[in-house]
Amino acid sequence: MTGELDPLIHVPTRLKIVAALAALPDGDALSFTRLQDMLRLTPGNLIIQLRKLEEAGYLSTEKTRNGPAQKTTVALTRQGRKALDAYTQALRDLLGGL
Amino acid sequence: MNHTPDSTTAVGNGGNFDPRQAAALLDQTTQQTRRKLAPAQPWLLTIRAVMVLAVLGACWLNVRGQHPYRGPTSAVAPFVVVFVIANFLATVTVRKRATAGVSGKSRLRPWEITVLTLAWIAVFAVIGALAGTGVSPAIVYSLIPLTVPLILAGLAWAGINAARADWRPCGAGAGVAVAGAVGLFAGPAGAWAVDGAGLFTVLLGSAIAIVWQQRRSVVWP
Repeated sequence: MTGELDPLIHVPTRLKIVAALAALPDGDALSFTRLQDMLRLTPGNLIIQLRKLEEAGYLSTEKTRNGPAQKTTVALTRQGRKALDAYTQALRDLLGGL
Repeated sequence: MNHTPDSTTAVGNGGNFDPRQAAALLDQTTQQTRRKLAPAQPWLLTIRAVMVLAVLGACWLNVRGQHPYRGPTSAVAPFVVVFVIANFLATVTVRKRATAGVSGKSRLRPWEITVLTLAWIAVFAVIGALAGTGVSPAIVYSLIPLTVPLILAGLAWAGINAARADWRPCGAGAGVAVAGAVGLFAGPAGAWAVDGAGLFTVLLGSAIAIVWQQRRSVVWP
């Protein structure tokens, strides 16, 4: 059966974000700056996409303060991992039928 | 295709996103992330494998004709020292760069650091205990320091990674422990060759396994 491609993930920038976070071992998080550097995104664009994914419950962000500097870390939630698995399966089904 | 128009795609993403492009992008991003975040880089493991074979092989060539066994001469000592320092610095630098910005469970936890530290302390305890019982200096000061650290550190590393269900480093740790255990029965001179060949095999095997893991497709497993 062909599943539907999750419209929230089926956007190049968000797909890259979710794929990058899913490549981390379960329970790991990545700093905002490293994610931005790896995906070569502007901070503004990354913030917009992260917010959408966070609102859907696909990822969680955590802000920690270390002196004057604030560090934001991002991690894929269990729901986000499941959504990516379903998206990947839907891709397989679609491409297998082409 | 079920693609809901999204205003945020305007930021350099384009409108129509073909499933084939999506599959390629998913694989490409996953593989790049795996490569960039890998604390053990295959190229470094390969260089280390060749270096460990060269250094321990040179030590074996240096001691194999000795009767009685006296240990490596001072001629090979600089190579060993340079190897140990270069290996340590390269490992720390590469690991630090790869794991920058990464936090969470994959970092070593306090109890895991304690286990690894205790493994090294146990090596000196074994040496001290054997030295006190009148065992030959060739055994106490050459065979044991060459093999027991591999056994204990290898077992500790294998145990820590088994607890994490991370089977590649677990296998590598077990392989190092086996190399050390086999070396223990090869005698003071033979241990250099056995440990060199064993570590070479484990390091090269790890490098190949990491490359395979990094290149594995998530769309077509």
